[in-house]
Amino acid sequence: MKPDINIALLNAAQEILNRFSPLIEDEYERSRLGSWGALILISAMKVDGAGTLLDKENQDIIDWLLSHSRINADQLEVFKSSDSDSETISFLDENNQKLRTLLTKEVEFLESGGKKNEILTAYGLLRSMHHRRKVSDLVGLLQQSLD
Amino acid sequence: MSQKLSKSFLSYYSNLSKKEFSLLSFERIFGGASRETYKIRLKDSLGSEERLILRLSQESSLIETEQRIEYLAYSAFQKSNVPVPILIDMSEDDSTFNVPFMLMRELNGEAANPFTPNSYSPYEQDIGIQFWSILGEIAKKRIDNEIFKAFAKDLDKPFWKTELDKWVKVIEEDSIGVEPILDAGIRYLYKYPPKESNNICMVHGDYRSGNFLYFKNKITGILDWEMAHLGDPLEDLGWALSPIWSWQDRDRPAYLIPRDEALDVWENSSAHKVDKKDLEWWELFAAIKGMAIWISAGNEFKSGKNIDPINLFSAWIPGDIHLEIILNTLESKI
Repeated sequence: MKPDINIALLNAAQEILNRFSPLIEDEYERSRLGSWGALILISAMKVDGAGTLLDKENQDIIDWLLSHSRINADQLEVFKSSDSDSETISFLDENNQKLRTLLTKEVEFLESGGKKNEILTAYGLLRSMHHRRKVSDLVGLLQQSLD
Repeated sequence: MSQKLSKSFLSYYSNLSKKEFSLLSFERIFGGASRETYKIRLKDSLGSEERLILRLSQESSLIETEQRIEYLAYSAFQKSNVPVPILIDMSEDDSTFNVPFMLMRELNGEAANPFTPNSYSPYEQDIGIQFWSILGEIAKKRIDNEIFKAFAKDLDKPFWKTELDKWVKVIEEDSIGVEPILDAGIRYLYKYPPKESNNICMVHGDYRSGNFLYFKNKITGILDWEMAHLGDPLEDLGWALSPIWSWQDRDRPAYLIPRDEALDVWENSSAHKVDKKDLEWWELFAAIKGMAIWISAGNEFKSGKNIDPINLFSAWIPGDIHLEIILNTLESKI
């Protein structure tokens, strides 16, 4: 078995941060390279789960739309994939954008009706989506790269 | 790039000063996203040293602002209670360095990373009082007539709508994905606007931790005025208070003094009374404006116009934090 992409990225980041960056005398260029190292490190940590994350998010939006919105199952049929080969990240992301557009419209509709409990369920979904995607918990890397 | 630039700078500055100089150092400062900033040390024939800061407009920058706006904003606060660098020169044409530029004297002190807690330790109290007091000074400063007129051409009432429209337009133009949290935040701001302010003041536009210089317990300079404009004093206050600048210690905005104390200092210094409800609006606005800036950065990066890694960081990390702030605020309103 070949080394995985995340391992390759992790090692590349370590080489940049620990081996090459300290060799650069120019402060600006050193900081810039250090930032690239940190970005690759974040990518290494996130790449493995990127597809699963998008798939889960899409399913969560579909579930919410079916139970809390005006949209019915027929309208969401198009988001079901029949071919597992087509489930690349770009394919999932394309569906994700369409689902997010539907979600935005439905949240706006709930807001106009002032249904607080329903709005809170929507915010709960938005929070779980945001929590899964966010990289800000890796803020320590940002500090290192900018210090 | 730096070598060619340093050579042309030496020639330009010798002509301007009518003196011969030799270059001691010419270094680009990392982190600026809207201007390329260089720290320059020169020596004249008698051995006297000069320390200068050169700011160049970027062909592709986060927020496209005129060099003249920044220069005029600095001009408005020369020799005032708001410490700013002494200006030397400015040009809006491309003839000297191929881009507009501004030149000023370097001030003593260092700028903190806004995401690092405890940067100001052990001087948080002293620096905190100065930080909020200087912001009050900006709010109450009477701006020179000529400078006021230059800024007033963009002045439109109500201020909140002018600013919100401006940043929503940036979001619409630069967005590379659908973001339901951001859309909900924007809807809220339009639906529940603040009262129109009777106070017109110079708004710094990016007054926060990291955009000032300090040396030990003293603030030595307020920097980065490129987003300055006329408007509501609560706009700067909302931006400076944003939890993003003290994410790991949210009760001490900008990692300085507690929020209530900060507001007291600002009220005393500015002679304005804070309307808490209006301030809440401006704090949510700050998160939307932040998102516009981070989205714009992400667009620059994705399109390849400017692949400085600071643009990717901006889209990833501050963008995440501001979205969370928007969602927290919206939930608290239900």
